[in-house]
Amino acid sequence: MSLDFVHEMSFASAILDAVMKVARENNAKRVKSVHVVIGNLLMLNPEQLKFCYDVVTKGTIAENSKLEIEVVKAKIECTNCGKVFDEYVGICDECGGILKVEGGKEMFLKKVEMEV
Amino acid sequence: MHRIEVDAEMDLLEENRRLAEKNRELLRKKNVVAINVMGAIGSGKTLLIEKTVESLKGYRVGAILGDVIAKDDYERVAKHGVKAMPLNTGKECHLDAHLVHHALEDFDLDGIDVLFIENVGNLICPVDFDLGENYRVVMVSVTEGDDVVGKHPEIFRLADVIIINKVALADAVDANVDKMVEDAKRLNPKAKVIKMDLKKGIGFDEWMEWLRCVLQSREG
Ligand SMILES: Nc1nc2c(ncn2[C@@H]2O[C@H](COP(=O)(O)OP(=O)(O)OP(=O)(O)O)[C@@H](O)[C@H]2O)c(=O)[nH]1
Ligand SMILES: [Mg+2]
Ligand SMILES: [Zn+2]
Ligand SMILES: [Zn+2]
Repeated sequence: MSLDFVHEMSFASAILDAVMKVARENNAKRVKSVHVVIGNLLMLNPEQLKFCYDVVTKGTIAENSKLEIEVVKAKIECTNCGKVFDEYVGICDECGGILKVEGGKEMFLKKVEMEV
Repeated sequence: MHRIEVDAEMDLLEENRRLAEKNRELLRKKNVVAINVMGAIGSGKTLLIEKTVESLKGYRVGAILGDVIAKDDYERVAKHGVKAMPLNTGKECHLDAHLVHHALEDFDLDGIDVLFIENVGNLICPVDFDLGENYRVVMVSVTEGDDVVGKHPEIFRLADVIIINKVALADAVDANVDKMVEDAKRLNPKAKVIKMDLKKGIGFDEWMEWLRCVLQSREG
């Protein structure tokens, strides 16, 4: 198991902890689906995160629940000319200006669907 | 039995942020400068701390040595007669604010001026876990290949000091040090970028100069 894989595991546990809290508050019998939002700069691999989620939910009321992952992208633009970038490259290839990064680091548990 | 859907809106990184701020506040009160030493596995993080401990006269140094399970780094640094503490993550591939919070509770912060926190060797996982540090140092070495900086933009983007270590081995491993420096400067124009070789003593003075400068500028 590579280190990067363990990384998704720790985030999967964090999701499960939050889901169980919501489930307890609602006296849920089963968790059916879970919706999370993650920023693209967190460098999480959604497939690996799903796999890890399946592993950590085994034996809990969230076993077999569906993990829906919504990836939101950071806003990256040149502070000088305003050119927008898909990924962070540091310096603008048009004008040499410095790029500004906003967002891309969020991680929210958004919705939990449960049987109560 | 019926189905319900609950809008949770829970921020899963909030807890780490909160504890990191608590750590930062505690360190500020104790007038300790904390430096998160991050970087690739085997790049020279522990050796940098060891050499720094030996050369930094006039300041009291402490070190927390993070590792998955080993205590070797702790033993290496403790040998130099400074306050040191091992911090094992068990399975996690990074330190987090919670682990450091507990370590700080047991650490004699009144007895030190600067605290090095060596993170787990890894260029991805530690990035998004603020520990409450004041500065981030990211170290890589030429033996990881000269594309290692360009391939990991996030960790370098958020660094205060970027160290390219083992430069004396560059020819032997066919690495272009200038390319690594250019990548570092492009990803982070504000960072201090240092070419170093701890075995040959290259770049070490530049590092010590940066360190003395931030220690002098701390309040109190
Ligand atoms: N040739 C050469 N070897 C170095 C240099 N710096 C460190 N080393 C060696 O590289 C190896 C790893 O150094 P460490 O200080 O343990 O590196 P680290 O980053 O703390 O390693 P981990 O904690 O395992 O991630 C040791 O054998 C060091 O002696 C250098 O500048 N040149
Ligand atoms: Mg080490
Ligand atoms: Zn990780
Ligand atoms: Zn531009």
